[in-house]
Amino acid sequence: MSERDQHMAELREIVAEVLELEPEEVADTADFVEEYEADSLRAIEILARIEKKYRVEIPQAELNEMRSLKAVHEVVARHAGWQD
Amino acid sequence: MRLDHGELRSLLPHRYPMLLLDRVDSVEPGVSLEAVKAVTGCEPCYRGIGEGQAPDRYAYPASLLIESFGQGAAVLWLLSRGPGTTGLPMFTAARDCVLLRPVYPGDVIRHRVRLEQVVHGAAFAAGSSWVGTDQVAEFGSMMAVVRPADAIAERKR
Repeated sequence: MSERDQHMAELREIVAEVLELEPEEVADTADFVEEYEADSLRAIEILARIEKKYRVEIPQAELNEMRSLKAVHEVVARHAGWQD
Repeated sequence: MRLDHGELRSLLPHRYPMLLLDRVDSVEPGVSLEAVKAVTGCEPCYRGIGEGQAPDRYAYPASLLIESFGQGAAVLWLLSRGPGTTGLPMFTAARDCVLLRPVYPGDVIRHRVRLEQVVHGAAFAAGSSWVGTDQVAEFGSMMAVVRPADAIAERKR
């Protein structure tokens, strides 16, 4: 598994747990709000869990961008310095 | 640090019948807290139960046990904030909570709460609840967010 696949699998698990879905139900580009009825509290929970797991700080302003798994990966990669 | 019931009332907006903590025995701000809730047969949740019911009818409701632990987490968070911070914690999510045995009138519950993370106006706590040496509940993750105090309307008489 490439590093990117590994990170995507871990992020998919966090998102699935917070949104109360099975990991395989979370598509890479599906919009959290439109597809899974996420709200701002769930978004903050996803952000907080990612920060804790990877020990990284992500500005709250990035929340608006983090609307799909792929977008979450891009934001986290930027702040955690991943070379995915 | 120890907080008696009056001090709890000055920290939490909850009142009868929803103030579900009696005392805080110890607090290490930013880290952990130990709080006490005594359950009695006078609780409103036992009002209206008919005569001759099975003992398990008097099990303390899980929702109130979780709320009581959450109030302990709220006190810990409030005492962990810097001076001049305002707003009240609002309980938003509980995950990985396991109830291990029922609690009955006469039991004294001790909540052991740890503050795990405070970030983006949200706090996460975890811990366990005990009656004597028996663990009665495990709390994997309790989340609260801060909301302006004036948004939580005070009921005027």
